[in-house]
Amino acid sequence: MLQSYYTDGLKVLLSFFLFIAICSCSNTNGSENKRIAVVISTLNNPWFVVLGESAAERAQELGYETTIFDSQNNTSKEAEHFENLIAAGYSAVLFNPTDSEGSVSNVKRAKAAGVPVFCMDREVNSLDAATSQIISDSFSGCVALGEYFVRQLNKKGKYVELLGLVGDNNTWNRSKGFHSVVDHFPDLKMVAQQSADFDRSKAMEVLESVMQSHPDIDAVFCGNDAMAMGAYQALVAAGKTENVMVFGFDGADDVMNAISNKKIKATVMQSPKHMAKVAAELADLYIKGKRDFIPKTPIAVEVVTQENIHDFVAYGQDN
Amino acid sequence: MNNTIKYLLITIIAGVSLYNAIYFKKLDEVKKEASNTTFNAKNYANQFFKNDVESFKAINASDFLNHINADAQAYAENNGHKLGISSDYNFIVEGNAIVLEIEEEYIVVELESDQQRLKIATDFIFGNAIREGARRANIGDYQNTMDFNNISVELNNIVREQILPPFLQEVKVSDRIYFKGAAKVNTKRHTNENMKVIPMLLKINN
Repeated sequence: MLQSYYTDGLKVLLSFFLFIAICSCSNTNGSENKRIAVVISTLNNPWFVVLGESAAERAQELGYETTIFDSQNNTSKEAEHFENLIAAGYSAVLFNPTDSEGSVSNVKRAKAAGVPVFCMDREVNSLDAATSQIISDSFSGCVALGEYFVRQLNKKGKYVELLGLVGDNNTWNRSKGFHSVVDHFPDLKMVAQQSADFDRSKAMEVLESVMQSHPDIDAVFCGNDAMAMGAYQALVAAGKTENVMVFGFDGADDVMNAISNKKIKATVMQSPKHMAKVAAELADLYIKGKRDFIPKTPIAVEVVTQENIHDFVAYGQDN
Repeated sequence: MNNTIKYLLITIIAGVSLYNAIYFKKLDEVKKEASNTTFNAKNYANQFFKNDVESFKAINASDFLNHINADAQAYAENNGHKLGISSDYNFIVEGNAIVLEIEEEYIVVELESDQQRLKIATDFIFGNAIREGARRANIGDYQNTMDFNNISVELNNIVREQILPPFLQEVKVSDRIYFKGAAKVNTKRHTNENMKVIPMLLKINN
């Protein structure tokens, strides 16, 4: 009787250990109970909100728990997020950096802790820190936008350029792409080039200030759509919407509507949904064992104008 | 005696810790060292045009047009080159042709082999068609993507400043020419009408 009791107990115990062993084996290679962190430069801009939410959504579809961290365009805040997510044992980071140089140390810290980082939209200036970087081909987009800009202005006129964050490579890739075209037309004069930090309110303030000294501008080239909307608001306030063309970059909802309504001339469509999806799927592959990744994958962008707006949707497709 | 040893020790420690802490170098030398470690896109582009363009293997332009018009997607995937995730494929093509029209931004030529028409750009020389068509560079090798982008800027500058001016001074309608250049095809929105070849080599064969 007693022997039978012990035998049954041993069987139960063995079954329990077997169950635990099976569970732990299935967790080793799968995505169950794994967590992915989504660290976004700022959630104060709808484009980045879509980027973060799309990344989290795709990661959840792949079976991961996700948390979105907002760096508020602050590298110190971003560093705090990395410390916390490394300590919390996240399996991967889908990362939109605040600063191409300043964010490198955060990515390296994650790498040293064995946490792979997949950059989205913005790059970091290091080839061996991030596992892979999925970036918009901002330069080529602004080359195409520059050509459209030149033709719309008939190769002559005065314009203002509103730059994004000066520490972000996208700011300069866009500006240099644009100037690699426009600077070949000597009758197109840039009367002011100022940073508005990719921010709508700052863009409005900066353009209002610039128009005090240059009231006769013909166009404004903005490094993102938030600034394009800010610039447009400044033109509305000054009663100059009919005389000044506004060009943006992103393909955000409000600018796409403004293009449809003939308020803004053009933007460049870069799809946050597509970049987020690719990044989440790469992270999933990493967690499942893949190790050889292409260091940088640019995603093509397209110019959206009042003529071809019907071919596009805001924030683009996810493929 | 003790003071002597103390001062001697302080001098030695100060000397060791300050040794090479401050030194002077000529500004020219510092600039030269920095430029040696900085990628020089202009040199890169010059070397390509000087050493590689003549011998670069190109696709016959008539074959290219026939294949692209038959099935752009399949042909592009097998024979073109694209940057990252994109529908824009790039090719290097060549051919002998007769000049039919000289327009402000391009010339229209008729291919001698099968009389198909093609535009060769003479203005608005921008984009990545040469770099990508020639498969000259890999973005993953460049820490800062702007270095990679500058390759296209410099390649296009050579076309604009060195390839086109002597050609445009001499070319006339009905001239027979040889061309080699880069063509970009967007497989989603391709039409022959909007395709232009960015010339890398132009010769008048009269």
